[in-house]
Parts: sequence; structure tokens; C-alpha cells
Amino acid sequence: MINEIFGVWNYWIVFTLMMIGLYIVISKKSLLKKVVGLAIFQTSVFLLYITFGKIAGGTAPIITNNSEEIYSNPLPHVLILTAIVVGVATTALGLALIVRINKAYGSINEDEISAVDLVDYHEKFSEKKNK
Amino acid sequence: MITEIIINAFLVSFMLVIALFIVNTRKVIFTILLAGTYSLVAALMFVSLDAVDVAFTEASVGAGISTILFLAALSFLPKEEVQESFNKNDIFALSICLLIGGLLIWASYDLPMVGNENNPVHQHLVSDFIEGSKNHIGIPNVVTAILASYRGYDTFGETIVIYTAGLAVFILLYNRTSKETNKSVKNEISKK
Repeated sequence: MINEIFGVWNYWIVFTLMMIGLYIVISKKSLLKKVVGLAIFQTSVFLLYITFGKIAGGTAPIITNNSEEIYSNPLPHVLILTAIVVGVATTALGLALIVRINKAYGSINEDEISAVDLVDYHEKFSEKKNK
Repeated sequence: MITEIIINAFLVSFMLVIALFIVNTRKVIFTILLAGTYSLVAALMFVSLDAVDVAFTEASVGAGISTILFLAALSFLPKEEVQESFNKNDIFALSICLLIGGLLIWASYDLPMVGNENNPVHQHLVSDFIEGSKNHIGIPNVVTAILASYRGYDTFGETIVIYTAGLAVFILLYNRTSKETNKSVKNEISKK
């Protein structure tokens, strides 16, 4: 019974975490917060993969002398190791873009950025009209 | 077995609570530190799910370097978010998230139970990898053996991705203006 609850409990929390990450990415206006939301989404996907690899009663996949030992699945671990490092690379790139945007627009709020863009557009348009 | 289940359930629920707090904070420093804590708890979770290599990578790279990068970026950015009120867009986002989340949770009943030895994931390849890393490669840590040997090209590709990202960050943040002003100053001097 408890095993069955635990069997889906992990999945439920992982999916909820994914949706929290997605919600932050969609609804928050601060670009920095969006990057944090992406990180949350990412980590929850990692957790999903590692959950797939778990065997109850198994140990970490490091070979011991005991031939009866059950090892958890090492393949998802390898995939996620790669994904973690790539995730940090994307985070760094996102942060560099945000710093650059802040330099150009003086704000990292989506609404303020599009307001600045709108003002620029209208100024250009009116210049053309005057000519 | 039962303690393992309790620890698992506690850690994963703790992650949920931290994520909920991240949604609500407005001070950026709190957001960053909470994200670091989130990564660290995720690392604990990985230990309890037998993924020790992933755990120390997550703790050092996810919780360490990531947080440092965020803090470094924060030194150039505004320290507090603009106040937002709950509006139509948020309801739209919330309903989309609830819909997708509901569908995923519904689908989770078709997923294999956690920790069952007969799951399809455990049927292929893995026994070969474990045998091979013992007999052919001679490294006791199977994860290292797969990472460096069986999936060496993956790791090579990962290195290229990191190199590209590093290059892109450098190009984005490289200060062009100072060089241009230097040039203009030099031009003026040469004119004189």
C-alpha cells in the first residue's frame, strides 16, 4: 500500500514542480526570475529521470565484490550528468543576455522593455512623417 | 525500506515548498538563494535515489557555480522586482499549467512504479554496461565507464556546447565601446 503511494507520489511532485517552473516562465515579468523558473523546470526533469533509474533495495552503481548486489540503473545517471552541465551553460548564456539587455534598456522587466521599444518605434515613425 | 520512503517523500515535498516560495519572493537575492537551496535539496534527493555521481555534480555545479553566476549577474542588475498585481495573464498562465499538470498526473498512472525491478528501463543495455565496465574497461564506477567510454561522443558534444556557450557569453559581454573610444581618441591625437 505504502509502496503504491510512493510509486506515484514522486511522479506527482515532479510534475507539480515542472508546472511551477512553467508558471514562473510564463507569468513573471522579471527576466531573471524566468531563468530561475527554467532552472526549476530543469531540475524537476532530472529528478524524473533519476526516479526512473531507481531499483528498490539497490545500491549506487559502483561495482563491489558481492556478486549478489543489485545496482540502480546507471544510464539515466549518465544522461543527467551531461544535462546538468549543459543546463549551467544555458543559464550562463541567459544571464549574459539579461545583463546585456539591462545595459541597453536600463531594465529587466518585460513590460518596461516593450514600452521603451514602443517609444522608439513611434519616434522613428514620426521622424519619417516629418520628412 | 520504510525509512527510505519517508526520507524520499520528505525531501521531495521540501523541494515543492521551496519552489512555491520562489514564486512569491520579490527580492532578487532571496530568489537566487532559494534556487541554490532547491538545487542542494535536489542533490540530497539524488543521493537517496542512488545517483551519487549526479548528486555531487548537482551540488557543485547546480548549487555552486549556478548560484555564483546568478550573484555575479545580480551585481549589474536591479535588486528588486517591480510589483505585479494578479491579472488576466496570470489566470491564463495558471489555467494552462493546471491543464498540463493535470494531464501529466493522469498519465502518471500508466508509468511503471518507482523502484520495481521489472520496469522496462532496467531490461536492456544495463547488464551489458555493468559487465563491460567490470571486464573490458576495468573501472568499478559504472557511471564513469559509460560517460567516458560507451558514451564518449556525448561527452565530447557536451564539451563543444559548453565552449560555444562560453564564447557566446564572452561576445555578449565584451566591451566594444571602450575600444572604439580609444580609437577615436587616437585618431584625434594623430590629426593634431
